[in-house]
Amino acid sequence: MALTALICDDSLLARNQLKKSLPADFDATIVTASNGIEALAVLRSEEIGLVFLDLTMPELDGIGVLEAIKAEAMDCLVIVVSADIQPEMQKRVMELGALAFIQKPASAAKLADVMHKYGLI
Amino acid sequence: MTDLRFTEEQRDCLQELVNVAMGLASDKLARYLGTLVHLQVPAIELVETDKLPQHFARRYDKQSVTLISLGFFGDQGLRGETIMLYQLENVDVIAQLLGYSDDESSEAEMLTDISSILTTTFLNGLAEQLENSFSYAAPRILSSRDQHFADKLAATSEQWQLALQVDIRYQLTDYSFNCDMILLIPGEAVLRLRLILAQILDSF
Repeated sequence: MALTALICDDSLLARNQLKKSLPADFDATIVTASNGIEALAVLRSEEIGLVFLDLTMPELDGIGVLEAIKAEAMDCLVIVVSADIQPEMQKRVMELGALAFIQKPASAAKLADVMHKYGLI
Repeated sequence: MTDLRFTEEQRDCLQELVNVAMGLASDKLARYLGTLVHLQVPAIELVETDKLPQHFARRYDKQSVTLISLGFFGDQGLRGETIMLYQLENVDVIAQLLGYSDDESSEAEMLTDISSILTTTFLNGLAEQLENSFSYAAPRILSSRDQHFADKLAATSEQWQLALQVDIRYQLTDYSFNCDMILLIPGEAVLRLRLILAQILDSF
């Protein structure tokens, strides 16, 4: 069964950019959310295998989403895709259980590299 | 007069480009200050330049403000000026943190240094995404410890047709450090920018 992946970013451009940069052989249904609250609603109601998560967002930011995923022991992998590249921030998201951190805008090569490394493609 | 407005898609596109550029600038600032900077979603607003002094006079009602300007010039007529506005409330703390001495001239020096880091990193990041490259004029201090800065802002902004106001709130771990950044762009450069944004959007 194909995986369902969630792209969560407040920017339409960023969501489209990411969608377009995903590897061609990534067999998944893509759903989107434009802030952390929306993302959690999707995560609680659908079976999401993989999340591409932005950090700087209104309503609830990416850190808040990671904390909720951890607290509720949700069974999904998270790849953080963010412009907030401070080393301290990258360390924090990894501690909260993210699989990887990718600097925005995510290039197709970098995405393929990370997804290949974790057996997602 | 030419219509300089942006569509919602173009505004979203610009906001994301600004977001990425701000991430780079904050990373530089965080390394410089040796602390984590809490990033917020940048609020972007297009403001008519004649309304700017009014707008900021309200916000900086009770504090003195330092204004630092940096001009930039890119290819294909893309050019403008950034103005950083600093509230002086927390300047002492930052000066201490960075080891600047405690007088007015080194305060000005410190704010010029921070402005250079923030604006050139920000603008380089923006230029790269626009597939452009900018060169810069030397930063100048427009006013310092001046309660009536609105006049100076008016004087410098009147030559521009449109101001892109990017609201930056830098929250540092132990204290707050607020500054605003304003991008002032002349009318023909706004048209150029809009064209580039449309091309970026077309590629999706």
